[in-house]
Amino acid sequence: MATTAAPATDTRVKNGDGTGRGGGDGAGVRRRHRLGDRIWPLGFALAAVLVFVLYQWILPQAPAGVSDFFQTWLPMSTINQCVIWATMAVGLNVVVGYAGLLDLGYVAFWAIGGYVAGWLMSGFFGQWQINFFGHPAPGQESGIHLSFWLVLPLAGLFCALWGVIIGAPTLRLKSDYLALVTLGFGEIIPEVFKNGENINGFNLSNGVKGITPLDPISTGPFAYLGVPEELGPFDETWKFVIYVLIATFAVFVSLRIREGRLGRAWLAIREDELAASMMGVPLMRTKLAAYAVGAFIGGIGGVAYASAVGGVAAEDFAFSSSIILLAMVVLGGMGNVWGVMLGALVLQWINSNGLAKAGEAINQAVGKDLNFPSYNFLVFGAILILMMLFRREGLLPETRTRQVLREPDRGGAEPADAELEGERR
Amino acid sequence: MSQTAEAHAPRSRSLPAPRVLLEKATGLGLVAILGLWLVVQLVRTPERFAGALVEGVNVGAIYALIALGYTLVYGIIELINFSHGDLFMLSTVLGAFVVITVFGATSPTLGGFGVLALGLVVTMTLAATVNVAAERLAYRRLRKAPKLAPLITAVGLSFVYQWGGVRTNGSGQKTWDSLLGDSGFTVAGISVPWSMVLVTGVTIPLLMLMMWIVQNTRQGKAMRATAQDQDAARLMGIDVDRTIAFTFAVGGALAGAAGVLYLQTVENTRWDAGFRLGLYAFTAAVLGGIGRLDGAVLGGFLIGIIQNLNDSGMLPFGQKWSQTVVFTILIMLMVFRPEGLLGRPTTEKV
Amino acid sequence: MTDTRDADTRDADTTDTDTPAPLAMSASGITIRFGGLVAIGNVDFTIPERGIVSLIGPNGAGKTTFFNVLTGLYRPSNGRVLLGSKDVTGMSPHKVASLGLARTFQNIRLFNLMTAEENVLVGMHSRMRSGIVRTVLRTPGQRREEREGREFARELLEFVGIGAVAQELSRNLSYGDQRRLEVARALALRPRVLLLDEPTAGMNPQESARFVEFVHRVRDERGVSILLIEHDMSVVMRVSERVTVLDRGEKIAEGPPEEIKSDERVIEAYLGKTGTHGYGEDE
Repeated sequence: MATTAAPATDTRVKNGDGTGRGGGDGAGVRRRHRLGDRIWPLGFALAAVLVFVLYQWILPQAPAGVSDFFQTWLPMSTINQCVIWATMAVGLNVVVGYAGLLDLGYVAFWAIGGYVAGWLMSGFFGQWQINFFGHPAPGQESGIHLSFWLVLPLAGLFCALWGVIIGAPTLRLKSDYLALVTLGFGEIIPEVFKNGENINGFNLSNGVKGITPLDPISTGPFAYLGVPEELGPFDETWKFVIYVLIATFAVFVSLRIREGRLGRAWLAIREDELAASMMGVPLMRTKLAAYAVGAFIGGIGGVAYASAVGGVAAEDFAFSSSIILLAMVVLGGMGNVWGVMLGALVLQWINSNGLAKAGEAINQAVGKDLNFPSYNFLVFGAILILMMLFRREGLLPETRTRQVLREPDRGGAEPADAELEGERR
Repeated sequence: MSQTAEAHAPRSRSLPAPRVLLEKATGLGLVAILGLWLVVQLVRTPERFAGALVEGVNVGAIYALIALGYTLVYGIIELINFSHGDLFMLSTVLGAFVVITVFGATSPTLGGFGVLALGLVVTMTLAATVNVAAERLAYRRLRKAPKLAPLITAVGLSFVYQWGGVRTNGSGQKTWDSLLGDSGFTVAGISVPWSMVLVTGVTIPLLMLMMWIVQNTRQGKAMRATAQDQDAARLMGIDVDRTIAFTFAVGGALAGAAGVLYLQTVENTRWDAGFRLGLYAFTAAVLGGIGRLDGAVLGGFLIGIIQNLNDSGMLPFGQKWSQTVVFTILIMLMVFRPEGLLGRPTTEKV
Repeated sequence: MTDTRDADTRDADTTDTDTPAPLAMSASGITIRFGGLVAIGNVDFTIPERGIVSLIGPNGAGKTTFFNVLTGLYRPSNGRVLLGSKDVTGMSPHKVASLGLARTFQNIRLFNLMTAEENVLVGMHSRMRSGIVRTVLRTPGQRREEREGREFARELLEFVGIGAVAQELSRNLSYGDQRRLEVARALALRPRVLLLDEPTAGMNPQESARFVEFVHRVRDERGVSILLIEHDMSVVMRVSERVTVLDRGEKIAEGPPEEIKSDERVIEAYLGKTGTHGYGEDE
């Protein structure tokens, strides 16, 4: 059966003895799964290349009508935002989709990542002058200037550390309590940044003014290949390449981990916490790992975001961002990385540009004056509710979860056990 | 066999005790430091302290009303009804519309109070209806689903309500006149606003009515039975669906009342008021022990008082940290004492 | 990290036939109080190495509570639990599991959205060591570990007779296959002791009879000691080498099946329940 379609490189399936039973359904699922394994990354890479070629070389030559159309409906800055949000959504998916831990304060990691970029890539800490492969703008040499490529992992690790700090005392809580506590952190951390201009005389975050501008991104050896040596605010198409790379990294990491020992433990915990612990899976450590990985991706997403908008400001990190990210994960299909990615790209387009432009077009056509962007909350709220009611597995469910999440769970003994487990540990 | 394992066993056995002790000590220590600080402030500026207390009781009553909505629903179906705060926000907007826009009641005349009573009834009814509708259309269908599903639905509903708030109230803040304005009286050097008398005058009977319903009526008994064990309750002939809907109705009505009273003290409406106040109230519910009615009331007053002590500079943080203070309380509670002040792990729910 | 180390040392235990301790598991003086209520009172209990023993008792006798003490879910108010010669009293369940105590569940608790093979691989969690970095980089060591894990999983699935459905989601398996998968998943821990919680619930007499043989095969071929909680007396009498009877939290009888059958106190405890089929959850 499945042997016929097995690409040799796939280590997942060794079919030698898998014949005989199983029926066509299972084989079909598997074949589709493996096909999906290839189609999505190829499609993503192709789309990225197309977008880059289009915006870098074709559109500047194109007739005004065409380039105007793209400027209106899909400007490069919006695409960059979409890719960055998608990165973040992939990170949240590790926590919510894989491990089944509802995190309503994911924006906290985004904020921390952004501020790490602000601290390490600008003239903000004027009292120090540190330059490590940094590219300060002329006249901005004071402050800490590290290379963007160094700041990415630093921010990721710093966020992972915070993920562990936040997670360690709270992850033993029941799922709904955990959601509220993460929400609390999601509110506290931006507030610390908002009020952080004078913490015992130390200016941590420049308060509501935020930290701006950030250093441009250096491209190192690629400068010889015709890439600008430094990517500033106007090199959006080149930055697009960087953001795609970051998103690819996030996807790659989460897919790889998903296939391994840790990914299985996450899924097991999501499916049945008690049974998982009885099978030797340490609950706390495994959940903390999910938090740390999610936070790491959130951190690099935060750096990307800060570099895209050229600074950080505390009011960017609102509760609504956490929920919009959650909507992206839910719409795409909890646990399915590519679904989440696609969901995020579409939703962020609606969020930043699509709804407003579509609204203008409709208003013109109908001759009315509806304020479409004001329906944003309705759209995202409705997505969450409708998806939960009618298609809990998401639009593009993880192959395995198709038709399954709709079933009621076993209920009964579980909550009591879980509670008991919480007491004990 | 291994020394490693031998070395492990005793350590992991003796581990919990010191950790629990350490947690307890840390928690108590923090509370003690704060308490000491408050005593110092009380001695130094007794009037301001008392003023903050009065104001705290005032908002606390409103928090208590909202917290009851959380605790009732949590007690019966273990759902954190995330949208409850935003239902309260919609109630403030509706209350303003009925009491002020329609009837223009802004002065403490007999008619004014009549209108306020009418506004209370209308808002409570509508808020109860909305809450029941949400239960009927969304939560009921998800009662058997994994826990994440109703919670995410509640978050979505909260967004929808907020959108409703923006549509009706605009994206800014609207200011309204209350019946009693700033007028008040002075007792022993402490000025007490009349609005506080009004708020507590409405809240306390409502709370007592609430308790009476849950403790003494058939419906209340059905609620308690359903909270204990839905299947058993069903076998005893209790209409579980109806009981849960009734619980949502009561919770909604209390949020409606809170909305109208909030308007009479705070005198403004904002689309995002529900988020913050909802979380404060939820913290209050957890502080008292979620699932317990008296706990919600106690927690509401405590959170109101703590917040106002902080707002007025009685705590060392200052107003701009108020939200952080309350959320920190929430997190500390979850970590150190998730069962709350009054709750015991074995305690009866609702 | 500690898990794997412990797993290794335990591994040495199981393979080392010279180990003097004849007991795979022993519990002494176990008492559990819930508030003022004594759920289990001063119970001593042992599982001999490579033995098959059963724990029976009417509903509410405290069997499940006792089970939960062994697995680490409850911490006893008094008493000690030894796994081999290691004191595991009050250790967290995952720790106890990785030290060599595996179990199945009365109401099957598989990871529904994972394949049969993945379910078994979860059972190997504590024996594998690849962390985040090695998994992301897919180092040769990690790949070898995965490959060996899959081979062992396949071996276990074949052993319990469901090798053909290794790639099926566990929720799509038949009831009987799910029961078998639970055993395979438990065996993946390479346990010293296997606890089976009402394994024949929902089986017809023929299936139960086959199950008795299966239990013997598990013991003989995988070298584990087995403890059963069981309601079906015919199964208990055929499979067990020793039966322990609990009633109202106390041990009222212990001995070979024939003795238990005719024990006065046991008959008394079961009076009115001679039908031997109780599907209710005790406690």
